Amino acid sequence: MLAIEKLSVSYGRVQALCEVDLEIRDDGVLHGVIGPNGAGKSTLLDAVCGRRRPTGGAVRYRGEDITRRSVAWRRRHGMARSFQRTSVFQNLTVLEQLRLVAQHLGDERFEDVIHVMDLGDYLDQKAGRIAYGVQRRVDVALALIGRPQLLLMDEPGAGLSAVETLRLFQHLRDLVGERKMAAVVVEHDVDAVFACCGKVTVLDLGRHLATGTPSEIRADRRVVAAYLGSAA
Amino acid sequence: MTRRAGTGGSLAGAAIGASGASSWRMPLIVSASALLFVIGAAAPTRFAGEFVLRLGEEGLLLGILALSVAFLMNQAGLVALGAASVYGGAGYLFAIAMSEWDMTAIEALAVSLLIVVIYAAFLGALIVRTNPLAFMMLTLAAGEMVSHSVTLEGLRDYTGGADGLVVNFKGSIFGMQAADFANASRFWIVAWSAAWIAGLIIWAARRSRLGAILRAVRENEERMRFSGFNTYAPRLTAFVLVNAIAGACGLLHVLNAGFVSPDSLGLSVSTNTLVAALIGGVDGSIGPIVGGLAFSFAQDQFGAHGATQLFTGLAIVVFIVLLPSGVVGGLLEALQPRARALARRRKDA
Repeated sequence: MLAIEKLSVSYGRVQALCEVDLEIRDDGVLHGVIGPNGAGKSTLLDAVCGRRRPTGGAVRYRGEDITRRSVAWRRRHGMARSFQRTSVFQNLTVLEQLRLVAQHLGDERFEDVIHVMDLGDYLDQKAGRIAYGVQRRVDVALALIGRPQLLLMDEPGAGLSAVETLRLFQHLRDLVGERKMAAVVVEHDVDAVFACCGKVTVLDLGRHLATGTPSEIRADRRVVAAYLGSAA
Repeated sequence: MTRRAGTGGSLAGAAIGASGASSWRMPLIVSASALLFVIGAAAPTRFAGEFVLRLGEEGLLLGILALSVAFLMNQAGLVALGAASVYGGAGYLFAIAMSEWDMTAIEALAVSLLIVVIYAAFLGALIVRTNPLAFMMLTLAAGEMVSHSVTLEGLRDYTGGADGLVVNFKGSIFGMQAADFANASRFWIVAWSAAWIAGLIIWAARRSRLGAILRAVRENEERMRFSGFNTYAPRLTAFVLVNAIAGACGLLHVLNAGFVSPDSLGLSVSTNTLVAALIGGVDGSIGPIVGGLAFSFAQDQFGAHGATQLFTGLAIVVFIVLLPSGVVGGLLEALQPRARALARRRKDA
Protein backbone atom coordinates (compact mmCIF):
# COMPACT_ATOMS: atom_id res chain seq x y z
CA MET A 1 0.00 0.00 0.00
CA LEU A 2 2.62 2.53 1.13
CA ALA A 3 6.35 2.23 0.60
CA ILE A 4 8.65 4.83 2.08
CA GLU A 5 12.06 4.65 0.45
CA LYS A 6 15.15 6.34 1.87
CA LEU A 7 13.02 9.29 2.94
CA SER A 8 14.92 12.30 4.21
CA VAL A 9 13.62 15.67 5.42
CA SER A 10 15.68 18.64 6.55
CA TYR A 11 14.71 21.84 8.32
CA GLY A 12 17.57 24.05 7.22
CA ARG A 13 20.66 22.33 8.57
CA VAL A 14 18.72 20.09 10.90
CA GLN A 15 18.13 16.61 9.54
CA ALA A 16 14.70 15.65 10.85
CA LEU A 17 14.46 12.38 8.93
CA CYS A 18 17.40 10.47 7.57
CA GLU A 19 16.89 7.82 4.87
CA VAL A 20 13.96 6.13 6.54
CA ASP A 21 12.58 2.97 4.91
CA LEU A 22 9.18 1.70 5.88
CA GLU A 23 6.41 -0.39 4.38
CA ILE A 24 2.78 -0.16 5.42
CA ARG A 25 0.32 -2.84 4.33
CA ASP A 26 -3.46 -2.65 3.99
CA ASP A 27 -3.92 -5.62 6.24
CA GLY A 28 -6.30 -4.02 8.72
CA VAL A 29 -3.60 -3.66 11.35
CA LEU A 30 -2.83 -0.40 13.14
CA HIS A 31 0.80 0.51 12.61
CA GLY A 32 2.14 2.59 15.49
CA VAL A 33 5.12 4.93 15.24
CA ILE A 34 6.79 5.81 18.51
CA GLY A 35 9.98 7.50 19.57
CA PRO A 36 11.29 10.25 21.80
CA ASN A 37 10.63 13.92 21.14
CA GLY A 38 12.41 15.07 17.99
CA ALA A 39 12.58 11.55 16.59
CA GLY A 40 10.88 12.69 13.38
CA LYS A 41 7.51 10.99 13.87
CA SER A 42 5.32 13.92 12.86
CA THR A 43 7.79 14.86 10.11
CA LEU A 44 7.39 11.36 8.72
CA LEU A 45 3.61 11.80 8.50
CA ASP A 46 4.03 15.31 7.04
CA ALA A 47 6.28 13.98 4.30
CA VAL A 48 4.01 11.05 3.52
CA CYS A 49 0.84 13.16 3.26
CA GLY A 50 2.48 15.96 1.26
CA ARG A 51 2.49 18.64 3.91
CA ARG A 52 6.28 18.80 3.81
CA ARG A 53 8.40 18.11 0.76
CA PRO A 54 11.14 15.53 1.34
CA THR A 55 14.72 16.48 0.63
CA GLY A 56 15.47 12.95 -0.49
CA GLY A 57 13.91 9.58 -1.12
CA ALA A 58 10.45 8.72 -2.35
CA VAL A 59 6.94 7.95 -1.20
CA ARG A 60 5.18 5.24 -3.17
CA TYR A 61 1.46 4.73 -2.81
CA ARG A 62 -0.10 1.71 -4.46
CA GLY A 63 3.02 1.41 -6.57
CA GLU A 64 3.01 5.02 -7.81
CA ASP A 65 5.63 7.58 -6.85
CA ILE A 66 3.53 10.33 -5.26
CA THR A 67 6.37 12.33 -3.71
CA ARG A 68 5.40 15.44 -5.66
CA ARG A 69 1.64 15.02 -5.60
CA SER A 70 -0.46 17.66 -3.84
CA VAL A 71 -2.15 17.15 -0.50
CA ALA A 72 -5.60 17.39 -2.10
CA TRP A 73 -4.69 14.79 -4.73
CA ARG A 74 -3.54 12.37 -2.05
CA ARG A 75 -6.75 12.87 -0.12
CA ARG A 76 -8.89 12.30 -3.18
CA HIS A 77 -6.96 9.10 -3.82
CA GLY A 78 -7.62 7.61 -0.44
CA MET A 79 -4.91 8.98 1.83
CA ALA A 80 -6.21 10.86 4.88
CA ARG A 81 -4.69 12.29 8.01
CA SER A 82 -5.57 13.79 11.34
CA PHE A 83 -3.50 16.37 13.16
CA GLN A 84 -1.51 16.63 16.37
CA ARG A 85 -3.22 19.93 17.09
CA THR A 86 -6.92 19.64 16.59
CA SER A 87 -7.80 20.92 13.13
CA VAL A 88 -11.55 21.25 12.87
CA PHE A 89 -13.83 24.02 11.61
CA GLN A 90 -14.60 25.87 14.82
CA ASN A 91 -17.57 27.82 13.46
CA LEU A 92 -19.29 24.99 11.65
CA THR A 93 -21.45 22.47 13.46
CA VAL A 94 -20.10 18.94 13.65
CA LEU A 95 -22.67 17.79 11.10
CA GLU A 96 -22.01 20.69 8.72
CA GLN A 97 -18.31 19.97 8.52
CA LEU A 98 -18.68 16.24 8.18
CA ARG A 99 -21.30 16.75 5.48
CA LEU A 100 -19.21 19.31 3.61
CA VAL A 101 -16.30 16.88 3.35
CA ALA A 102 -18.57 13.89 2.68
CA GLN A 103 -20.30 15.67 -0.21
CA HIS A 104 -16.96 16.60 -1.72
CA LEU A 105 -15.59 13.09 -1.46
CA GLY A 106 -18.87 11.50 -2.54
CA ASP A 107 -19.29 9.58 0.71
CA GLU A 108 -23.01 9.00 1.16
CA ARG A 109 -22.53 6.70 4.14
CA PHE A 110 -20.64 9.02 6.43
CA GLU A 111 -23.04 8.31 9.28
CA ASP A 112 -20.86 5.26 9.95
CA VAL A 113 -18.10 7.65 10.93
CA ILE A 114 -20.45 9.52 13.27
CA HIS A 115 -21.28 6.20 14.89
CA VAL A 116 -17.71 4.99 15.15
CA MET A 117 -16.46 8.28 16.57
CA ASP A 118 -19.46 8.50 18.90
CA LEU A 119 -20.42 11.98 17.72
CA GLY A 120 -24.19 11.53 17.61
CA ASP A 121 -24.84 13.84 20.55
CA TYR A 122 -22.80 16.70 19.13
CA LEU A 123 -24.01 16.98 15.55
CA ASP A 124 -25.81 20.30 15.97
CA GLN A 125 -23.11 21.94 18.06
CA LYS A 126 -20.42 24.20 16.68
CA ALA A 127 -17.07 22.44 16.94
CA GLY A 128 -15.55 25.39 18.78
CA ARG A 129 -18.03 24.93 21.60
CA ILE A 130 -17.54 21.26 22.36
CA ALA A 131 -15.02 19.65 24.69
CA TYR A 132 -11.48 19.19 23.45
CA GLY A 133 -11.72 15.43 23.60
CA VAL A 134 -14.76 15.49 21.32
CA GLN A 135 -12.98 17.89 18.96
CA ARG A 136 -10.21 15.29 18.70
CA ARG A 137 -12.81 12.76 17.65
CA VAL A 138 -14.22 15.19 15.06
CA ASP A 139 -10.68 15.64 13.74
CA VAL A 140 -10.29 11.89 13.29
CA ALA A 141 -13.83 11.65 11.87
CA LEU A 142 -12.96 14.20 9.17
CA ALA A 143 -10.04 11.98 8.19
CA LEU A 144 -12.23 8.88 8.11
CA ILE A 145 -14.79 10.32 5.69
CA GLY A 146 -14.54 9.06 2.14
CA ARG A 147 -13.44 5.63 3.33
CA PRO A 148 -9.70 6.27 2.97
CA GLN A 149 -7.47 3.34 2.24
CA LEU A 150 -4.56 4.79 4.16
CA LEU A 151 -5.13 6.67 7.39
CA LEU A 152 -2.36 8.72 8.97
CA MET A 153 -2.98 9.95 12.51
CA ASP A 154 -0.73 12.26 14.42
CA GLU A 155 -1.18 11.77 18.15
CA PRO A 156 -4.94 11.28 18.14
CA GLY A 157 -4.73 10.90 21.92
CA ALA A 158 -3.10 14.29 22.51
CA GLY A 159 -4.97 16.12 25.27
CA LEU A 160 -7.02 13.07 26.18
CA SER A 161 -6.79 11.09 29.40
CA ALA A 162 -5.12 7.67 29.31
CA VAL A 163 -8.53 6.00 29.48
CA GLU A 164 -9.93 8.15 26.65
CA THR A 165 -6.83 7.51 24.55
CA LEU A 166 -7.09 3.77 25.04
CA ARG A 167 -10.79 3.85 24.17
CA LEU A 168 -10.11 5.87 21.02
CA PHE A 169 -7.36 3.46 20.00
CA GLN A 170 -9.69 0.52 20.51
CA HIS A 171 -12.27 2.17 18.25
CA LEU A 172 -9.62 2.81 15.63
CA ARG A 173 -8.23 -0.71 15.84
CA ASP A 174 -11.71 -2.16 15.33
CA LEU A 175 -12.46 0.21 12.45
CA VAL A 176 -9.16 -0.41 10.67
CA GLY A 177 -9.59 -4.15 11.10
CA GLU A 178 -13.16 -4.08 9.88
CA ARG A 179 -12.35 -2.02 6.78
CA LYS A 180 -9.06 -3.78 6.08
CA MET A 181 -7.33 -0.50 5.58
CA ALA A 182 -3.79 0.64 6.22
CA ALA A 183 -3.30 2.95 9.18
CA VAL A 184 -0.30 4.67 10.70
CA VAL A 185 -0.61 6.25 14.11
CA VAL A 186 2.03 8.40 15.77
CA GLU A 187 1.55 8.40 19.52
CA HIS A 188 3.34 9.20 22.75
CA ASP A 189 1.15 6.92 24.82
CA VAL A 190 3.21 3.75 24.48
CA ASP A 191 0.73 1.67 26.48
CA ALA A 192 -2.08 2.48 24.04
CA VAL A 193 0.18 1.73 21.06
CA PHE A 194 1.31 -1.61 22.46
CA ALA A 195 -2.25 -2.51 23.41
CA CYS A 196 -3.86 -1.75 20.06
CA CYS A 197 -1.24 -1.72 17.29
CA GLY A 198 -0.32 -4.92 15.50
CA LYS A 199 2.94 -3.45 14.32
CA VAL A 200 5.19 -0.79 15.78
CA THR A 201 8.01 1.26 14.29
CA VAL A 202 10.46 3.11 16.47
CA LEU A 203 12.26 6.23 15.26
CA ASP A 204 15.15 7.87 17.03
CA LEU A 205 16.87 11.10 15.99
CA GLY A 206 15.31 10.89 12.53
CA ARG A 207 16.46 7.34 11.90
CA HIS A 208 14.58 4.09 11.71
CA LEU A 209 15.46 2.05 14.77
CA ALA A 210 13.19 -0.97 14.64
CA THR A 211 9.93 -2.37 13.31
CA GLY A 212 8.10 -5.35 14.72
CA THR A 213 5.21 -6.60 16.78
CA PRO A 214 4.71 -4.98 20.20
CA SER A 215 6.37 -7.90 21.95
CA GLU A 216 9.35 -7.79 19.57
CA ILE A 217 9.71 -4.06 20.15
CA ARG A 218 9.49 -4.44 23.91
CA ALA A 219 12.28 -6.99 23.76
CA ASP A 220 14.50 -5.02 21.41
CA ARG A 221 17.55 -3.86 23.36
CA ARG A 222 18.20 -0.86 21.11
CA VAL A 223 14.65 0.36 21.62
CA VAL A 224 14.86 -0.15 25.35
CA ALA A 225 18.10 1.76 25.48
CA ALA A 226 16.99 4.62 23.24
CA TYR A 227 13.38 5.09 24.27
CA LEU A 228 11.55 2.65 26.48
CA GLY A 229 14.15 2.37 29.24
CA SER A 230 12.98 0.76 32.43
CA ALA A 231 9.35 1.65 31.64
CA ALA A 232 9.20 -1.29 29.25
CA MET B 1 -22.06 4.17 21.58
CA THR B 2 -24.95 6.46 21.05
CA ARG B 3 -26.47 7.04 17.69
CA ARG B 4 -28.24 10.19 16.73
CA ALA B 5 -31.67 9.88 15.28
CA GLY B 6 -31.67 10.32 11.52
CA THR B 7 -30.81 8.06 8.67
CA GLY B 8 -27.79 8.26 6.49
CA GLY B 9 -29.93 9.53 3.67
CA SER B 10 -31.21 12.44 5.72
CA LEU B 11 -27.73 13.35 6.89
CA ALA B 12 -26.16 13.15 3.49
CA GLY B 13 -29.02 14.54 1.47
CA ALA B 14 -29.46 18.07 2.73
CA ALA B 15 -27.21 20.77 1.37
CA ILE B 16 -24.94 22.85 3.54
CA GLY B 17 -26.67 25.97 4.70
CA ALA B 18 -30.01 24.75 3.43
CA SER B 19 -32.96 26.87 4.38
CA GLY B 20 -34.54 26.25 7.70
CA ALA B 21 -37.61 28.29 6.80
CA SER B 22 -40.84 26.42 7.10
CA SER B 23 -43.19 26.11 4.12
CA TRP B 24 -45.40 29.09 5.03
CA ARG B 25 -42.51 31.45 5.67
CA MET B 26 -40.92 31.33 2.23
CA PRO B 27 -43.97 32.58 0.23
CA LEU B 28 -44.42 35.29 2.88
CA ILE B 29 -40.80 36.41 2.55
CA VAL B 30 -41.01 36.40 -1.27
CA SER B 31 -44.27 38.39 -1.24
CA ALA B 32 -42.91 40.94 1.26
CA SER B 33 -39.72 41.29 -0.77
CA ALA B 34 -41.66 41.81 -4.01
CA LEU B 35 -43.79 44.47 -2.31
CA LEU B 36 -40.71 46.17 -0.89
CA PHE B 37 -39.09 46.13 -4.31
CA VAL B 38 -42.10 47.77 -5.98
CA ILE B 39 -42.51 50.37 -3.22
CA GLY B 40 -38.78 51.10 -3.18
CA ALA B 41 -38.73 51.54 -6.95
CA ALA B 42 -41.82 53.73 -7.20
CA ALA B 43 -42.16 55.75 -3.98
CA PRO B 44 -38.94 57.81 -4.12
CA THR B 45 -39.59 58.85 -7.73
CA ARG B 46 -42.99 60.16 -6.66
CA PHE B 47 -42.14 61.78 -3.33
CA ALA B 48 -38.43 62.65 -3.36
CA GLY B 49 -36.85 65.61 -5.12
CA GLU B 50 -34.14 65.28 -7.74
CA PHE B 51 -31.33 66.06 -5.32
CA VAL B 52 -32.40 63.40 -2.88
CA LEU B 53 -32.81 60.92 -5.71
CA ARG B 54 -29.29 61.67 -6.93
CA LEU B 55 -27.90 61.10 -3.45
CA GLY B 56 -29.87 57.87 -3.23
CA GLU B 57 -28.54 56.70 -6.59
CA GLU B 58 -24.98 57.40 -5.52
CA GLY B 59 -25.69 55.51 -2.32
CA LEU B 60 -27.11 52.53 -4.17
CA LEU B 61 -24.11 52.33 -6.51
CA LEU B 62 -21.75 52.63 -3.56
CA GLY B 63 -23.84 49.95 -1.83
CA ILE B 64 -23.47 47.57 -4.79
CA LEU B 65 -19.73 48.14 -4.74
CA ALA B 66 -19.71 47.61 -0.96
CA LEU B 67 -21.68 44.41 -1.47
CA SER B 68 -18.92 42.99 -3.64
CA VAL B 69 -16.20 43.99 -1.17
CA ALA B 70 -18.22 42.69 1.79
CA PHE B 71 -18.77 39.29 0.16
CA LEU B 72 -15.06 38.75 -0.27
CA MET B 73 -14.39 40.02 3.25
CA ASN B 74 -17.07 38.00 4.95
CA GLN B 75 -16.83 34.77 3.00
CA ALA B 76 -13.16 34.55 2.13
CA GLY B 77 -11.58 36.74 4.79
CA LEU B 78 -9.98 38.89 2.09
CA VAL B 79 -10.09 42.69 2.15
CA ALA B 80 -9.81 44.24 -1.32
CA LEU B 81 -8.59 47.82 -1.64
CA GLY B 82 -8.78 47.97 -5.40
CA ALA B 83 -12.54 48.00 -5.96
CA ALA B 84 -12.36 51.47 -7.49
CA SER B 85 -9.93 50.39 -10.19
CA VAL B 86 -12.49 47.93 -11.54
CA TYR B 87 -15.41 50.30 -10.96
CA GLY B 88 -13.77 53.22 -12.70
CA GLY B 89 -11.85 51.01 -15.11
CA ALA B 90 -15.08 49.55 -16.50
CA GLY B 91 -16.33 53.09 -17.07
CA TYR B 92 -13.18 54.02 -18.97
CA LEU B 93 -13.40 50.87 -21.07
CA PHE B 94 -17.01 51.65 -21.94
CA ALA B 95 -16.16 55.22 -22.93
CA ILE B 96 -13.15 54.11 -25.00
CA ALA B 97 -15.13 51.33 -26.67
CA MET B 98 -17.80 53.83 -27.70
CA SER B 99 -15.51 56.58 -28.90
CA GLU B 100 -12.40 54.76 -30.14
CA TRP B 101 -13.67 51.34 -31.18
CA ASP B 102 -16.93 52.66 -32.61
CA MET B 103 -19.11 50.12 -30.86
CA THR B 104 -22.79 50.32 -30.05
CA ALA B 105 -23.69 50.76 -26.39
CA ILE B 106 -24.62 47.11 -25.90
CA GLU B 107 -21.39 45.92 -27.56
CA ALA B 108 -19.36 48.36 -25.48
CA LEU B 109 -21.02 47.12 -22.28
CA ALA B 110 -20.35 43.49 -23.13
CA VAL B 111 -16.74 44.09 -24.16
CA SER B 112 -16.03 46.26 -21.09
CA LEU B 113 -17.42 43.64 -18.74
CA LEU B 114 -15.53 40.88 -20.52
CA ILE B 115 -12.24 42.77 -20.20
CA VAL B 116 -12.94 43.40 -16.51
CA VAL B 117 -13.56 39.68 -15.96
CA ILE B 118 -10.36 38.74 -17.81
CA TYR B 119 -8.40 41.33 -15.80
CA ALA B 120 -9.90 40.02 -12.55
CA ALA B 121 -9.12 36.42 -13.49
CA PHE B 122 -5.52 37.32 -14.34
CA LEU B 123 -4.98 39.45 -11.23
CA GLY B 124 -6.81 36.96 -9.03
CA ALA B 125 -4.72 34.08 -10.36
CA LEU B 126 -1.66 35.93 -9.08
CA ILE B 127 -2.90 37.18 -5.73
CA VAL B 128 -5.61 34.97 -4.20
CA ARG B 129 -2.99 32.49 -3.00
CA THR B 130 -1.36 35.08 -0.77
CA ASN B 131 -2.19 35.78 2.88
CA PRO B 132 -4.93 38.34 3.66
CA LEU B 133 -2.51 41.21 4.39
CA ALA B 134 -0.51 40.64 1.22
CA PHE B 135 -3.76 40.32 -0.72
CA MET B 136 -4.95 43.68 0.58
CA MET B 137 -1.68 45.37 -0.33
CA LEU B 138 -1.59 43.75 -3.77
CA THR B 139 -5.13 44.90 -4.59
CA LEU B 140 -4.12 48.37 -3.44
CA ALA B 141 -1.01 48.27 -5.64
CA ALA B 142 -2.93 47.00 -8.67
CA GLY B 143 -5.62 49.61 -8.12
CA GLU B 144 -3.09 52.43 -7.88
CA MET B 145 -1.36 51.24 -11.05
CA VAL B 146 -4.64 51.32 -12.98
CA SER B 147 -5.51 54.67 -11.45
CA HIS B 148 -2.16 56.15 -12.38
CA SER B 149 -2.11 54.70 -15.88
CA VAL B 150 -5.20 56.65 -17.02
CA THR B 151 -3.42 59.93 -16.33
CA LEU B 152 -0.29 58.98 -18.28
CA GLU B 153 0.51 61.55 -20.95
CA GLY B 154 1.10 58.83 -23.54
CA LEU B 155 -2.44 57.54 -23.08
CA ARG B 156 -4.08 60.96 -23.01
CA ASP B 157 -5.60 60.50 -26.46
CA TYR B 158 -7.51 57.50 -25.17
CA THR B 159 -8.18 58.38 -21.52
CA GLY B 160 -8.42 62.15 -21.62
CA GLY B 161 -5.76 62.46 -18.93
CA ALA B 162 -6.83 64.35 -15.81
CA ASP B 163 -9.94 65.66 -17.61
CA GLY B 164 -11.43 62.22 -18.11
CA LEU B 165 -13.75 61.23 -20.93
CA VAL B 166 -17.22 62.22 -21.96
CA VAL B 167 -19.28 59.23 -23.02
CA ASN B 168 -20.73 59.51 -26.50
CA PHE B 169 -23.72 57.26 -26.07
CA LYS B 170 -24.92 55.68 -29.32
CA GLY B 171 -28.13 53.74 -29.61
CA SER B 172 -30.05 52.45 -26.63
CA ILE B 173 -29.64 49.89 -23.86
CA PHE B 174 -32.75 47.83 -23.20
CA GLY B 175 -34.85 50.63 -24.63
CA MET B 176 -33.19 53.39 -22.61
CA GLN B 177 -31.43 56.30 -24.28
CA ALA B 178 -28.62 58.39 -22.80
CA ALA B 179 -31.15 60.97 -21.57
CA ASP B 180 -33.05 58.26 -19.69
CA PHE B 181 -29.95 57.21 -17.77
CA ALA B 182 -29.27 60.84 -16.91
CA ASN B 183 -32.83 61.33 -15.68
CA ALA B 184 -32.88 61.03 -11.88
CA SER B 185 -36.28 59.36 -11.63
CA ARG B 186 -35.62 56.81 -14.36
CA PHE B 187 -32.13 56.01 -13.20
CA TRP B 188 -33.39 55.49 -9.65
CA ILE B 189 -35.41 52.51 -10.90
CA VAL B 190 -32.35 51.17 -12.75
CA ALA B 191 -30.08 51.57 -9.70
CA TRP B 192 -32.71 50.14 -7.35
CA SER B 193 -33.20 47.11 -9.62
CA ALA B 194 -29.44 46.65 -9.97
CA ALA B 195 -29.03 46.71 -6.19
CA TRP B 196 -31.65 43.99 -5.85
CA ILE B 197 -30.08 41.87 -8.59
CA ALA B 198 -26.61 42.24 -7.05
CA GLY B 199 -28.06 41.46 -3.61
CA LEU B 200 -29.75 38.32 -4.93
CA ILE B 201 -26.56 37.17 -6.68
CA ILE B 202 -24.58 37.61 -3.46
CA TRP B 203 -27.36 35.98 -1.42
CA ALA B 204 -27.33 32.97 -3.76
CA ALA B 205 -23.53 32.80 -3.74
CA ARG B 206 -23.46 32.87 0.06
CA ARG B 207 -25.93 30.02 0.29
CA SER B 208 -24.33 28.00 -2.49
CA ARG B 209 -21.67 25.36 -2.14
CA LEU B 210 -19.14 28.01 -3.19
CA GLY B 211 -20.08 30.08 -0.13
CA ALA B 212 -19.82 27.08 2.18
CA ILE B 213 -16.39 26.17 0.80
CA LEU B 214 -15.15 29.76 1.01
CA ARG B 215 -16.16 30.03 4.66
CA ALA B 216 -14.51 26.72 5.46
CA VAL B 217 -11.32 27.73 3.62
CA ARG B 218 -11.29 31.05 5.47
CA GLU B 219 -11.52 29.21 8.75
CA ASN B 220 -9.12 26.36 8.19
CA GLU B 221 -7.46 26.19 4.82
CA GLU B 222 -5.11 23.38 5.73
CA ARG B 223 -7.92 21.14 6.88
CA MET B 224 -9.74 21.86 3.62
CA ARG B 225 -6.72 20.80 1.59
CA PHE B 226 -6.38 17.69 3.72
CA SER B 227 -10.05 17.00 3.02
CA GLY B 228 -9.29 16.92 -0.70
CA PHE B 229 -10.48 20.43 -1.60
CA ASN B 230 -8.79 22.70 -4.08
CA THR B 231 -8.68 25.90 -2.03
CA TYR B 232 -7.46 28.09 -4.86
CA ALA B 233 -10.27 27.80 -7.40
CA PRO B 234 -13.11 28.85 -5.05
CA ARG B 235 -11.25 32.00 -4.00
CA LEU B 236 -10.44 32.83 -7.60
CA THR B 237 -14.08 32.29 -8.58
CA ALA B 238 -15.22 34.60 -5.77
CA PHE B 239 -12.69 37.24 -6.77
CA VAL B 240 -13.85 37.19 -10.39
CA LEU B 241 -17.50 37.27 -9.31
CA VAL B 242 -17.13 40.33 -7.07
CA ASN B 243 -15.09 42.15 -9.70
CA ALA B 244 -17.75 41.44 -12.31
CA ILE B 245 -20.30 43.01 -9.96
CA ALA B 246 -18.01 45.98 -9.32
CA GLY B 247 -17.46 46.38 -13.06
CA ALA B 248 -21.20 46.29 -13.78
CA CYS B 249 -21.66 48.89 -11.06
CA GLY B 250 -19.02 51.10 -12.70
CA LEU B 251 -20.84 50.79 -16.01
CA LEU B 252 -24.07 51.96 -14.40
CA HIS B 253 -22.21 54.90 -12.91
CA VAL B 254 -20.80 56.00 -16.27
CA LEU B 255 -24.17 55.60 -17.97
CA ASN B 256 -25.69 57.84 -15.34
CA ALA B 257 -22.93 60.43 -15.12
CA GLY B 258 -22.18 60.57 -18.85
CA PHE B 259 -18.49 60.94 -18.19
CA VAL B 260 -15.66 59.17 -16.42
CA SER B 261 -12.69 60.75 -14.68
CA PRO B 262 -9.64 59.61 -12.68
CA ASP B 263 -11.62 60.40 -9.50
CA SER B 264 -13.73 57.29 -10.06
CA LEU B 265 -10.56 55.15 -9.89
CA GLY B 266 -9.13 56.79 -6.79
CA LEU B 267 -8.26 55.14 -3.52
CA SER B 268 -10.91 57.26 -1.80
CA VAL B 269 -13.63 55.38 -3.71
CA SER B 270 -12.18 52.08 -2.47
CA THR B 271 -11.96 53.26 1.13
CA ASN B 272 -15.47 54.77 1.00
CA THR B 273 -16.68 51.39 -0.22
CA LEU B 274 -15.04 49.68 2.71
CA VAL B 275 -16.52 52.20 5.14
CA ALA B 276 -19.99 51.75 3.62
CA ALA B 277 -19.67 47.97 4.04
CA LEU B 278 -18.60 48.35 7.66
CA ILE B 279 -21.41 50.80 8.43
CA GLY B 280 -24.10 48.57 6.97
CA GLY B 281 -22.56 45.28 8.01
CA VAL B 282 -20.61 42.83 5.89
CA ASP B 283 -22.66 39.76 6.76
CA GLY B 284 -25.51 39.62 4.27
CA SER B 285 -26.89 41.30 1.18
CA ILE B 286 -28.82 44.14 2.81
CA GLY B 287 -26.14 45.61 5.08
CA PRO B 288 -23.74 46.94 2.42
CA ILE B 289 -26.60 48.52 0.44
CA VAL B 290 -27.91 50.20 3.60
CA GLY B 291 -24.32 51.25 4.36
CA GLY B 292 -23.94 52.78 0.90
CA LEU B 293 -27.14 54.79 1.27
CA ALA B 294 -26.27 55.89 4.81
CA PHE B 295 -22.78 56.92 3.70
CA SER B 296 -24.08 58.94 0.78
CA PHE B 297 -26.66 60.90 2.81
CA ALA B 298 -24.30 61.32 5.77
CA GLN B 299 -21.57 62.71 3.51
CA ASP B 300 -24.01 65.30 2.23
CA GLN B 301 -24.96 66.33 5.76
CA PHE B 302 -21.35 66.36 6.95
CA GLY B 303 -20.40 68.46 3.91
CA ALA B 304 -23.12 70.96 4.73
CA HIS B 305 -21.34 71.61 8.03
CA GLY B 306 -17.99 71.93 6.28
CA ALA B 307 -16.39 69.09 8.19
CA THR B 308 -16.85 66.02 6.03
CA GLN B 309 -13.60 64.24 6.98
CA LEU B 310 -13.94 64.99 10.70
CA PHE B 311 -17.50 63.71 10.98
CA THR B 312 -16.78 60.75 8.71
CA GLY B 313 -13.86 59.75 10.94
CA LEU B 314 -15.99 60.09 14.06
CA ALA B 315 -18.79 58.07 12.50
CA ILE B 316 -16.36 55.28 11.55
CA VAL B 317 -15.04 55.10 15.12
CA VAL B 318 -18.55 55.10 16.58
CA PHE B 319 -19.77 52.38 14.23
CA ILE B 320 -16.75 50.11 14.66
CA VAL B 321 -16.80 50.43 18.45
CA LEU B 322 -20.54 50.41 19.14
CA LEU B 323 -21.87 48.44 16.18
CA PRO B 324 -19.12 46.10 15.01
CA SER B 325 -21.66 44.10 13.00
CA GLY B 326 -22.92 47.23 11.28
CA VAL B 327 -26.40 48.76 11.30
CA VAL B 328 -28.16 45.74 9.82
CA GLY B 329 -26.05 43.22 11.74
CA GLY B 330 -26.65 45.09 15.01
CA LEU B 331 -30.36 45.27 14.35
CA LEU B 332 -30.58 41.55 13.66
CA GLU B 333 -28.56 40.76 16.77
CA ALA B 334 -30.95 42.89 18.82
CA LEU B 335 -34.00 41.23 17.31
CA GLN B 336 -32.75 37.65 17.53
CA PRO B 337 -33.29 37.10 21.29
CA ARG B 338 -36.81 38.52 20.96
CA ALA B 339 -37.56 36.27 18.00
CA ARG B 340 -36.26 33.26 19.94
CA ALA B 341 -38.37 34.18 22.97
CA LEU B 342 -41.44 34.57 20.77
CA ALA B 343 -40.83 31.19 19.15
CA ARG B 344 -40.38 29.61 22.60
CA ARG B 345 -43.67 31.13 23.83
CA ARG B 346 -45.49 29.83 20.74
CA LYS B 347 -43.99 26.40 21.26
CA ASP B 348 -45.00 26.36 24.93
CA ALA B 349 -48.51 27.49 24.04
